[in-house]
Amino acid sequence: MKPLRAGRGLSQASLGSALGVSRQTINSIETGRYVPSLPLALRLARFFETTVEEVFDVEC
Amino acid sequence: MSNADTSPHRSLTGWVVPLTATVIGLGYLVAGIVGGDLGFGVFGLALMIVVAGVFLLASRHSETVAGLRDRRDERINQLDATASQVAGAAVLVAVLVMFVVEVARGRSGSPYYQLGALGGVSYVAALVYLRFRR
Repeated sequence: MKPLRAGRGLSQASLGSALGVSRQTINSIETGRYVPSLPLALRLARFFETTVEEVFDVEC
Repeated sequence: MSNADTSPHRSLTGWVVPLTATVIGLGYLVAGIVGGDLGFGVFGLALMIVVAGVFLLASRHSETVAGLRDRRDERINQLDATASQVAGAAVLVAVLVMFVVEVARGRSGSPYYQLGALGGVSYVAALVYLRFRR
């Protein structure tokens, strides 16, 4: 997710503000400490106009 | 792109914790007046108002406290739920330990057995309720 955010020149705070979550939450998602809920994952994907799989590096 | 406002001041939700603290303080005041200990009541109310004020002030400087106010950040809500579980478990352990200590002293175990029973019944009731809700 970090490359997508950085690629658009967004700070963690501004992305968090756009999605209604805190900067800490964006940071925790980027560092892998927090796995977002499905609704937040979908919001992130829609925000970046891509798919959930593109936003997250999922290991199944 | 949405542009959600995370300000806790936009919603009544942001006032639940400070108002609850104030209501608890008013409860202390009433208890103090009824029990004939006005000093306790006034101190209790003042303390809870200070707690509410510190919470409001801290929400301007801490994202976590702000999240606890507006309840919109799922991660902070999850942290709050887990912290509440830890606090509940700590109280339950204390109640059970005190129950055993009281019984070992030859006493009835009151009021700890009632508190333990309340915790157990609440857990089962919540489990049954949530079972049908989720």
